[in-house]
Amino acid sequence: MRSRRCIRVLLCGAQRSRRGGGKTEITSKPHGWLEGIVILDLADDRTDFCSRILADMGARVIKIERPGGSPSRRQGPCLDDTSSSTGSLSFLYNNVNKFSVTLNLEHPEAKPIFLQLLQRADVLVESFPPDYLKRLNLDYDSLSESYPRLIFVSTTGFGGRGPRSAYKTCDLIASAYGGQMYVSGSPEGPPLKAFGSQPYFSASLHAAMGIMLALRSRNRTEKGDHIDISLQASVTSTLEHVMVHYLSQGLIRRRQGSFHWNGEFAVLPCKDGFIHMSLFQQWETLIEWLDAEGMAHDLTNEEWLDDEYRRRNVCHIIEVLKQWTTEHTVHELFELAQLIRFPWAPVQSPSEVLECPQLSARNFFMKSRDPESGKTLKYPGAPYRASGEFDAPNMPAPLPGQHNQIIYNQELGISQEELKYLQGQNAI
Amino acid sequence: MQYDALAGLRVLDLTRVVAGPYTTRFLGDFGAEVIKVQSKRTARGVESNPTSFFGAWNRNKRSITLNMDRTEARELFLGLVEVSDVVVENFAPRVMSNWNLDYTRLRSVNEKLIMLSMSGMGQSGPWKDYVAYGPTVQSLGGLTYLTSYSHDDPIGLGYAYADIISGMYGAVCVLGALQYRQQTGQGQYIDLSEYEAVCTAAGPALMDAFANQREILPTGNVDHDVPAAPYGCYRCLGVDRWCVVAVYDEDEWQAFCRVLGSPPWTEETRFSTLPNRQKHREELHSRVSQWMAHQSPDEAVEQLQKAGVRAGVVQNAEQLANDPQLVSNGFFDSIRHPVLGETIVDTYPINFSNHQKRPWKPAPLLGEANQYVFGEILGMTKAAIESYVRDGIIA
Repeated sequence: MRSRRCIRVLLCGAQRSRRGGGKTEITSKPHGWLEGIVILDLADDRTDFCSRILADMGARVIKIERPGGSPSRRQGPCLDDTSSSTGSLSFLYNNVNKFSVTLNLEHPEAKPIFLQLLQRADVLVESFPPDYLKRLNLDYDSLSESYPRLIFVSTTGFGGRGPRSAYKTCDLIASAYGGQMYVSGSPEGPPLKAFGSQPYFSASLHAAMGIMLALRSRNRTEKGDHIDISLQASVTSTLEHVMVHYLSQGLIRRRQGSFHWNGEFAVLPCKDGFIHMSLFQQWETLIEWLDAEGMAHDLTNEEWLDDEYRRRNVCHIIEVLKQWTTEHTVHELFELAQLIRFPWAPVQSPSEVLECPQLSARNFFMKSRDPESGKTLKYPGAPYRASGEFDAPNMPAPLPGQHNQIIYNQELGISQEELKYLQGQNAI
Repeated sequence: MQYDALAGLRVLDLTRVVAGPYTTRFLGDFGAEVIKVQSKRTARGVESNPTSFFGAWNRNKRSITLNMDRTEARELFLGLVEVSDVVVENFAPRVMSNWNLDYTRLRSVNEKLIMLSMSGMGQSGPWKDYVAYGPTVQSLGGLTYLTSYSHDDPIGLGYAYADIISGMYGAVCVLGALQYRQQTGQGQYIDLSEYEAVCTAAGPALMDAFANQREILPTGNVDHDVPAAPYGCYRCLGVDRWCVVAVYDEDEWQAFCRVLGSPPWTEETRFSTLPNRQKHREELHSRVSQWMAHQSPDEAVEQLQKAGVRAGVVQNAEQLANDPQLVSNGFFDSIRHPVLGETIVDTYPINFSNHQKRPWKPAPLLGEANQYVFGEILGMTKAAIESYVRDGIIA
């Protein structure tokens, strides 16, 4: 444990000194809440954000990649002008603060090394096709007897059992089967998939929740568990009102453009962009505002005080509001609206998010240097701040096998000669 | 066993609406004793107990009433903090300190306390007092802009995804801090920002915009980064029935063509390789659309999947509720509510091998646990409780 801590401090310290240009401090502060927890990450982009979340909390995450690197290193979008081994931005994002070793699980000489790693691990996260690890005798049932404390997490498209458990999946398939697409998009257009790999993102969060429960439980029982995460159900679980409305009232909600499901928010155009605004909250204040600028039209009439009437005639309200919003810039409206406590917001593009003063003031974004291209990377850190005094990690995503020496030689005690031999065998 | 993973843990829940209640619901679902602090004055709208929306986010919790504007109520609350493990709140940042119930104060009665504050913007920064709901932070974080067919018509998700992912982060944070407390005995204060939670869901796009100095534009269901074509959503036979298809490699393309009956257009040079298919994705999309328009989505998807092609049905809530896959994974459960009756509820996509799920309890009625909490936990006499009720403190 002690030597491990030192190595980590060395790595993080080097990182810090590069950033700050200051001296490297050796400190004994923990890296976070999960100090001492060791996670083996065998997952691809379907759940590798899970162990990123836990690495941010101080867990020690060792990514096990096949020689040459994980196939998810090729997933776009990529850094311009870099080779394919490090350019994937989703890889660079999902694997911050992790260590990487290469290991060919299918190679007979690799298995004992894998088992040695497993000996020191609390958690294993994987997202292979359902039978892959079974064929290698590395599935939960094969391992749990020798490693009873192991928490083993599998992410599959549809869950380990059921009529569709063998179906192939991807981000798009999970978004459709999970119900997200049906409720997003315009009424006349096709169902719209959420941007980014949201099924993978929410599966990763669910996996992290499962791991934390299993760890808690293990503190008492000394027993691990197998956790099966379904990508489809991960989508269904994040639909907020959708299942509630059906299960309690039989309502089938449909997509309705930029209107929020309850009709209380919509996106309207401004001079220089778009504002997401509430339509009915503090109605009288809103109309006073419009009226003061001579833009309220008939909305000052008494019938509009009735909430039901407003909802029935919302198209007219939108028309009037639109004439007004297009006279203003997004930020004029946003700042005034927030002064009078309207929950409005600019519809920000990624470059606007990067410039946001609120996020800067909270030092939300992390920066690091891509080891291969030398480019500066800026990426979201964790969305919370904790009061504990931690030496928060800030390691860029590793190169394939970047920590083979440290982990195989210094920690597992595999000799240099043996490492060379295994490399020659293409086992590592 | 897992479903009691949190047994013995006591959580005071000051949260409202969805994000906060999701966090505390998760803790309650897995065995924690969650005491929701409500008041007669605020238990209305989405916080009205005997409604299905409230029921969905507040199952497996207890309810007490405290009029927190009264000093005596805040004293009782502090008494509960003393014997609790976790406090979760999602008020505007000024509220807890206005009540003199900020972390410093709560910690003074319980050093080991874990307190989680969930807010739209976080507890610091120039926008900390800004009012935010799910749609607000989804717009700020870039998800509304990016989830659109085109940059000049932003659409977004249409539901409060942000509330759920923030709720999930909240749960992981509380459990993380508990793990730390188990090792060190130390409590923790956690400031969670919903806006930042949304940003973490758009990480690669934000990195792309920064590192490549590129304007990222929404592209609807087209994804230029996925090495697949056809790739998209197609209208099928029936009212508002759709399916999705994603054809990656050559084997899948051959299988796809066979399912379509190998029509002559599939032999054309412009569709001969993946790069060609990607280059001519629009023509390909319209060819596939023409075929799909005459198919039942369920049958087409079944055939395609059997042939080894990624395909899926765009399911609505009714189809989800009856989905044999979700049902066989135990995704639904039923709870008997004293007012709403038998209700089917959705659970989690997390299946444990070694668990035994205990029966879940319905959401509480307003103040149903006043006797238990004030009498048994705080040891107040019946007469004392009654007088607090009469004076509008337990109210």
